[in-house]
Amino acid sequence: MSETETQIPSYKPRIVALVCNWCTYTAADLAGTSRLSYPAEIRMVRLMCTGMIDQKYILKAFLDGADGVFIGGCHPGDCHYLDGNLKAERRIGGTRNLIEQFGFYPERLKLQWIGASEGPEFQHHMTEFVERIVAMGPSQVRDRMIL
Amino acid sequence: MTMYTVNQTGETASSTVTRLLKDLLGRNIADAVLVSAENPWSRLPMPTVFTDSANMDRVVPLAPSTSVSFARQASLLVRGPAGKTVVLVLKPCEIRAFIELAKLNQCSLESAILVSMDCPGRLENGDYVALAAEVQNLGEAFPSDLSFQEKLTVTCASCDAFIPDSADLQICVTGMDGKLGVKAGTAKGEDIAARLNLATCEEPQNRAEALSALAGKRKERKTALFSETASTLKSIEGFQAAISRCINCYNCRSACPVCYCRECVFLTDVFVHPPELLLERAARRGSVKMPTDTTMFHMTRMSHIAHACVGCGQCTSVCPSEIPVADLFRTVAEKTQSYFDYMPGRNVLEPIPQLVARKGQSQE
Ligand code: SF4
Ligand code: SF4
Ligand code: FES
Repeated sequence: MSETETQIPSYKPRIVALVCNWCTYTAADLAGTSRLSYPAEIRMVRLMCTGMIDQKYILKAFLDGADGVFIGGCHPGDCHYLDGNLKAERRIGGTRNLIEQFGFYPERLKLQWIGASEGPEFQHHMTEFVERIVAMGPSQVRDRMIL
Repeated sequence: MTMYTVNQTGETASSTVTRLLKDLLGRNIADAVLVSAENPWSRLPMPTVFTDSANMDRVVPLAPSTSVSFARQASLLVRGPAGKTVVLVLKPCEIRAFIELAKLNQCSLESAILVSMDCPGRLENGDYVALAAEVQNLGEAFPSDLSFQEKLTVTCASCDAFIPDSADLQICVTGMDGKLGVKAGTAKGEDIAARLNLATCEEPQNRAEALSALAGKRKERKTALFSETASTLKSIEGFQAAISRCINCYNCRSACPVCYCRECVFLTDVFVHPPELLLERAARRGSVKMPTDTTMFHMTRMSHIAHACVGCGQCTSVCPSEIPVADLFRTVAEKTQSYFDYMPGRNVLEPIPQLVARKGQSQE
């Protein structure tokens, strides 16, 4: 355990969500218009496909103080660019393996397929992820970054 | 794999290899050769291109030196659609790097004949020059004198992948009772051996044993080195401590044979922050070390190339701050490569792991 965790009851987690335009972002929109509320802590970044997520986006988020990074993409078979989501899955798996070696908690990085019509699922996964991160407490990475 | 004999009486090992290379040119099997050669002013072998065997006097194919990444230079020479055929004489790790670059279409295997050897390892450039001044024909003396092993780079001293499994022609030195052998690692190699009329021979009994003894010793050092390095990296503080002397010169990046981006993000303005942000950071964190984003640089590079790191050690060799960059990268790379069940440069047909679309890994 190298990433010291301290519970701060009132803490608001910083969560970055990298979401695909065609599915998860649309689902978020749908959740909004259906008045399904989801946690306000999430800072959503819309991308054209999870396949364009470079490892450095994830690293940068964590090094700059994200407590969690959520990636939402199309279900396998539904990616607009055929298999960007499956390549993303490999890349994210590799990144998780990497940051684990440096004492980051891999649970802070999550990949989830959420289809365009899945507004309730979007609400559910976001709420669950935020709860997970709140339970883990704030990441100490940013405060320990000097170089 | 069949072994071919190449010795002629009275020849030294390097003159045998040089004759073989000249033969490839002479018989029009190849149009050019890229190989280690000295120049009139320096004993430090550089990757050098020859098209005429008459000019190959200063060739030192077995020198325990890789002054610069040969794979990177080779990729500049052999690219685009198959054109002239070029023999590339590279150390095993450089062969693997070249094959990785071929997977990225940054060079072409079709027009290359890959020649490699049981690797003697390499010395740092300064050490090589110093030793070459004392020892005549270092390439000959090196494999037979075990005391030289002490002079190898840390990377080579802990390298257990010194057999050039993926080369077309593999020059066998270790456990050969003072002779040389050649093995063909591919159909292309077999074809060349046939065109050179090489005679087959028995593999000496000693060879397998000699190779596994050396591999065992190297592996032991590697395991110790990696576990020590892993323990220093395992926290964000430890990671920063390991790179704390880094001056962001990016030498390690440009020396890396598998750093594949045409334009590195660290050479763009992405990490040139507005002054207000730097001041804000300083206020928040207590201080800001400049140049900034050193941790980001190393982690990003690891995330991009850990699957492809062939463990050549060039990054350590070029670091002005004497950071054991290769120890860090090789340690991380071993875990990444086992995660992806991937060995870079083993086979050109083995796809780059992040480009494989495969269902089934959990979303977690
Ligand atoms: S790392 Fe291995 S293959 Fe590369 S030069 Fe050193 S001993 Fe040879
Ligand atoms: S060569 Fe050394 S000092 Fe230069 S960027 Fe790499 S680690 Fe830093
Ligand atoms: S288009 Fe949605 S993940 Fe590729």
